[in-house]
Amino acid sequence: MKILVALKRVADPDNANKVKIPPSGDRIDTAGLEWKPNPFDEYALEAALRLTEDGKAPKARAGEVVVVTFGPKETEQTLRAALATGADRAIRVDVTDDKLDGALVARALKALVEREKPDVVLMGKQAVDGDSNQVGQSLAELLDWPMATFAATIQEEQGALLVGREVDGGVAVLRVRLPAVVTVDLRIVAPTSVYSLKTARTHKYNDGVRFAALPAIMASKKKPLAEVKLADLTADSGLKVQYHGFEPPPARKAGIKVKDVADLVARLKNEAKVL
Amino acid sequence: MAGLPEAFLAAIQADFPPDFLSLDAGDLATFGRDWTKVHAPSPGAIAFPRTTDEVSRLLRLCSAHAVPVVPSGGRTGLAGGAVAARGELVVSLDRMRHMGPVDMLGGTVRVQAGAVTEAVHQHCAAQGLTWPVDFASKGSSQVGGNIATNAGGVKVIRYGLTRQWVLGLQVVLANGDVLEVGGALEKNNTGLDLRQLFIGSEGTLGIITEATLKLTRLPGHLDVLLFAVADLAGVLALFREARMGGALAPGAGLEPGHGPFTVTAYEFFTERCLDRVKRHRKVRNPLSAPSDYYVLMEVENAHRDALEAWVASLFERELVTDGTLAQHSSQAAELWTLREGISESLSATGLPHKNDVALPISELSGFCAGLDDLFARRYPGWEICLFGHIGDGNLHINVMKPDDLTREQFLARTHEADHDIFALVKAHHGSISAEHGIGLLKKDFLGYTRAPAELALMRAVKRTLDPQGLLNPGKILDA
Repeated sequence: MKILVALKRVADPDNANKVKIPPSGDRIDTAGLEWKPNPFDEYALEAALRLTEDGKAPKARAGEVVVVTFGPKETEQTLRAALATGADRAIRVDVTDDKLDGALVARALKALVEREKPDVVLMGKQAVDGDSNQVGQSLAELLDWPMATFAATIQEEQGALLVGREVDGGVAVLRVRLPAVVTVDLRIVAPTSVYSLKTARTHKYNDGVRFAALPAIMASKKKPLAEVKLADLTADSGLKVQYHGFEPPPARKAGIKVKDVADLVARLKNEAKVL
Repeated sequence: MAGLPEAFLAAIQADFPPDFLSLDAGDLATFGRDWTKVHAPSPGAIAFPRTTDEVSRLLRLCSAHAVPVVPSGGRTGLAGGAVAARGELVVSLDRMRHMGPVDMLGGTVRVQAGAVTEAVHQHCAAQGLTWPVDFASKGSSQVGGNIATNAGGVKVIRYGLTRQWVLGLQVVLANGDVLEVGGALEKNNTGLDLRQLFIGSEGTLGIITEATLKLTRLPGHLDVLLFAVADLAGVLALFREARMGGALAPGAGLEPGHGPFTVTAYEFFTERCLDRVKRHRKVRNPLSAPSDYYVLMEVENAHRDALEAWVASLFERELVTDGTLAQHSSQAAELWTLREGISESLSATGLPHKNDVALPISELSGFCAGLDDLFARRYPGWEICLFGHIGDGNLHINVMKPDDLTREQFLARTHEADHDIFALVKAHHGSISAEHGIGLLKKDFLGYTRAPAELALMRAVKRTLDPQGLLNPGKILDA
């Protein structure tokens, strides 16, 4: 099985205090930020690796995982990390974040899918920076492919995937014919969430995303990493979404000290009006 | 337990705020001990001063009524230094947690002794500075306790002990006098450095109420690696490589701008420790196969290519059998959990008897061989969980209680085992307490590391500063 995984890097939420907005308020200043892969995309990569191996002998590959990201040269670090974790090949679409929106990414991915002809496109259900939750769905529409979103489990079948989605009060199970687009939720990296045809149903994975072994980190430098121009994928690079301004969240107001419980209750009632 | 004198309690009631003293059973149990769980807490009362003046007036009163005092910080100590088991008055610094403004030019900050280590870090981080005293219990431990115990931790290899990061102290003496020592000066060559007398004194010479801390810039980008190595010799061979920042690799060819990296932590632990952590918390081994020994290494501002070239050479020279490099901060945190979770997980999954010894690094191999031999011969079947700051020659030897011994039997036998271990420490020119201190737990063994003349001098200092023997009585030295 050949899988295309779309990866986005996001500002590390642990360094959220470093996110600066210039006085003009027209953009986010990304200088000095540390980056990490969007966690849901990392889960998608883990799911893709599980679908292209026998869980018992993961070193022998049983398929191909191609990772793609959209970004400037330094986003190749995100791709190298994915290659070190086990992906086979990487593609960087050369562009900067401010020239992108979800619709454009979906259009470009469509062209890439037509070139690469994967059986499955996997990605996170959303990126944790913009929280847009658009690209997977838009891509499936553009390709006119079956789609399963928010996947919590994936089981490979002959020519199809059985996808479990957690919904209110239970689990909805969809069978999608291949090729298909699947976006994943966080439970996809639980020990028994993903099974390829090769992996025995008794196999239990480690919980979470696998670490990159040092020999694999070294070997990843020799894995192919191609650069593609955005213009080669889509002639229409217009943006449907325009940002009109950015504002930092209001600074937290200083707290007050209350004398006793009666004072607290009175203030909750009269000032905060929550009682 | 004899209660506190009536007249003393009456004076407290008259001269201090109503919430100053607590006799609440929950407080007595909580504040009567530290992380050493072998002593039953039994304090007379807990005092919660808010100011240095209150501490001073309190100690003057204690002195007048001959009330023994146990100073108390975050109570994360592992040697029983904050245990009150004999009706003492516990003086908790919990309410004294004010932090002054950071002096950007001098690189200092003045804080009250009850300020929590992690809060100090956050306070200074906003200015790009840090107080580089860092260990697993930083979320509870307090500045005063860190100083009184000269705390160590995981970054000692890079920054040294707490002692190196204290410029000035305010100390309340046993008679209530307030002493200012040091100030905010980096250089102050004016006779005996009294400040150093209180650093590491474990509350036996005075109560530290404020400190001027020396700060340094926040570290740059940190990379965290976990290695699997076959044996202790391998841990040490890898350390020799690491401390040179990769410059020893053949053909390392450190290019301009690829200079040697700086090691900020070099920790090791055994598979048994990892097993215990796995039993206690939801963690996994990030490596594909288990190994007897693991090394966690953190490096600052490493050039990625140079670091990877060094790592490649480690495999070529078979210095490591497996390993991983955290790809981002969450993975780095996950690797650190494996090491920092050990102490807590040992206590949560059994009854550990803790020893914290230091040895010259060149003696470590011989010592560990001797340790294996000793336990195989005299205490067969006991589980030893070994981990520590190997780069500092610091081993944490945790002996777990075997299921077939009762708690009392075990504690009696560990006392015997300690004599054996410390004789071995002495033979290898080590110290019986690297960073945990002496407290109650190691007092009987002080003679293995300190000469009679040194002990006599320590007693003389104690008598001079605390003639009534009221400050943390029975800690370090017998009362």
